[in-house]
Amino acid sequence: MTTHQGDWTMALDEEARMTGENAGTRQPVLAVRQVTKRFGAVEALIGVDLDVHAGEVVALVGDNGAGKSTLAKIVSGVLQPDSGQVRIAGEPVTIGSPAAAHALGVSTVFQDLALCENLSVAANIFLGRELRVSASGPMDLARMELESTKILRDLTVGVPSVLAPVRDLSAGQRQAVAIARTLTTRPRILVLDEPTAALSVVQTAEVLMLVERLRAMGLGVILISHNLADLRSVADRIEVLRHGRNAGSFDAATAAPEEIIAAIAGATRVAMPSWARR
Amino acid sequence: MTSLKEVFGGGARQFGMVFALVALIIVFHVATGGKVLTPTNVQNIINGNSYVLILAIGMVLVIIAGHIDLSVGSVAAVVGIIVALAIRDWGIPWWLGIVLGLAVGAVIGAWQGFWVAYVGIPGFITTLAGMMLFRGANQYIGKSNTVPVPAEIQFLGAGYLPEWGPSTGLNNSTLLLGLLAVAAVVHAEVRRRQSAQRLGGESIAPWVSIARLGPLVAVIAAATFLFGSGRVGTSFPVSGVILVVLVLVYGFVSTRTITGRHVYAVGGNKIAASLSGVNIRRTNFLVMMNMSILAALAGIVFVGRSTASGPFDGTMWELDAIAAVFIGGAAVSGGVGTVIGSLIGGLVMAVLNNGLQLMGVGSDSTQMIKGLVLLAAVAFDVYNKVQGKPSIIGLLMRSRRQSEIPGGPDGPEAGPVKGSKADTLARR
Repeated sequence: MTTHQGDWTMALDEEARMTGENAGTRQPVLAVRQVTKRFGAVEALIGVDLDVHAGEVVALVGDNGAGKSTLAKIVSGVLQPDSGQVRIAGEPVTIGSPAAAHALGVSTVFQDLALCENLSVAANIFLGRELRVSASGPMDLARMELESTKILRDLTVGVPSVLAPVRDLSAGQRQAVAIARTLTTRPRILVLDEPTAALSVVQTAEVLMLVERLRAMGLGVILISHNLADLRSVADRIEVLRHGRNAGSFDAATAAPEEIIAAIAGATRVAMPSWARR
Repeated sequence: MTSLKEVFGGGARQFGMVFALVALIIVFHVATGGKVLTPTNVQNIINGNSYVLILAIGMVLVIIAGHIDLSVGSVAAVVGIIVALAIRDWGIPWWLGIVLGLAVGAVIGAWQGFWVAYVGIPGFITTLAGMMLFRGANQYIGKSNTVPVPAEIQFLGAGYLPEWGPSTGLNNSTLLLGLLAVAAVVHAEVRRRQSAQRLGGESIAPWVSIARLGPLVAVIAAATFLFGSGRVGTSFPVSGVILVVLVLVYGFVSTRTITGRHVYAVGGNKIAASLSGVNIRRTNFLVMMNMSILAALAGIVFVGRSTASGPFDGTMWELDAIAAVFIGGAAVSGGVGTVIGSLIGGLVMAVLNNGLQLMGVGSDSTQMIKGLVLLAAVAFDVYNKVQGKPSIIGLLMRSRRQSEIPGGPDGPEAGPVKGSKADTLARR
């Protein structure tokens, strides 16, 4: 019996090591390949590539109209690409709707928080996906409250009580509830569209902590933001889009802000003209 | 403090309204020299207001969902005349008449629900049109005549529970109902304690349970005595039984079912609800349809009480129902309100009417007083909102409500959630 159990644990260890080994060449949980999207004559995305690994925060930056939101919407199923491929865990998939994205493990927190202020935190977290006592029974209020508590605790978010109406929460706490909402379906990929827009300094820091928790939970996170300082502090990799094309990929820890801004703005080093060289 | 909250439960408005109701009853009882709390008078209050209270139950859901229904009086009237005529002229049995009436209510509700939910016309406009349409239909169908209804329907609107069995000094049906009610509240309290313990929260102190049960049981006992000890042949009114059943059913639907929660979600933030996968159209449709079915029931109960259906039945009922809902704590902007609160709001209006009448105050002054009460009740609500005070009790609790869920650096292994679970269950 004991040896049996030992074997079993060893097998588990083995598996863990193998996945660990795979980490170097591991498969991205989300891979976007040569995706193109046009709106009439406007080319929003042209041959864009994007990889997101489990436990990685990828920041998507670019000027207004660079195609960040279009790419996020393609990943979350709101828009469909004209050409190119989206692969989830290596499998080519068609994401036809936000519901299909949910089923594939892709959740999105949109810029405008979709919360009902009159409902409690727990009610918001499970809104539209309420748990029932039995197949056609009433809601299982106690279980929804406990699960909400657990999710929020995993996120290490301090919310007064899961029974408090969202109306009573701060903007940062609301963002946390909006993120917690998406975790009820146990996604693999989370798309955060401008999560720190309109937040105070302290609240922004709270949300960035939250993103780090999500990474620690092993999710692949796509973070869209305008704030380079925020992104550099929390992202692993920064992907720049410019005019709908990939315009560079930077290691967030080492890249200089000027380089990233140059990529966003499309600036190239111009040779100094001879007349200036006196 | 926790325990204090556990004793009272609920929000400040309900809490406040219960006290206002009790205070009103006592004040009027004293002022009229003991005429309010007599068996005949309380039976009259229930019989004479059950239809408005039935409407208030439907209306609170409509208002929570962010709409309003101005057509309920007309719908009640048209259903009343159809039921009365069908029974008299077609010779259908009384029970089939009731089924027919409810079916007509459902069809009217589907009509209004269609315009509100699927075409997107505001409920105010749709039901304003319905108010004229169905008032006209009542007078067209009935040729503005008064049509009597049979005794069975009258029993529904003005009858009393029957007497049976040994003589106990009280009406035995009422006594049985009272005992059932006591058993139900004790059972609910026991279950509340059990689930609080099972889910690992702090257990509820015994005195809390006793303090909560004591007054409730006392009130039920007093009501049982009051309703059961009237003159022979009277007891708890049948319309009161209908009302109690509706309150239980709709209380459950609004707090425990997904449909009920979606009504609150739609009223709170329509866009958020739809992004979350709530079917807004279906919810709006059901709310409007349900209101008309309840209006049909109210119409049937009313023609029973007045023994006949007439061309001016149900005028201004919509306003009484809406007033009851707002006095009962619903918010004009939608998303807030409770079934039990609306019932209490309706009873406040009913007692006010009754008490002033017993004191010999004319209907002119009564109207003015009722208007001021409505204004004061909603002003209290708005004032609290402006001040950012969710409720009196919430205010008292504010200091200890912080960080009930430890979200600190200790992470997931930080031990059980203290307090909040028990609070949760205790509050229900």
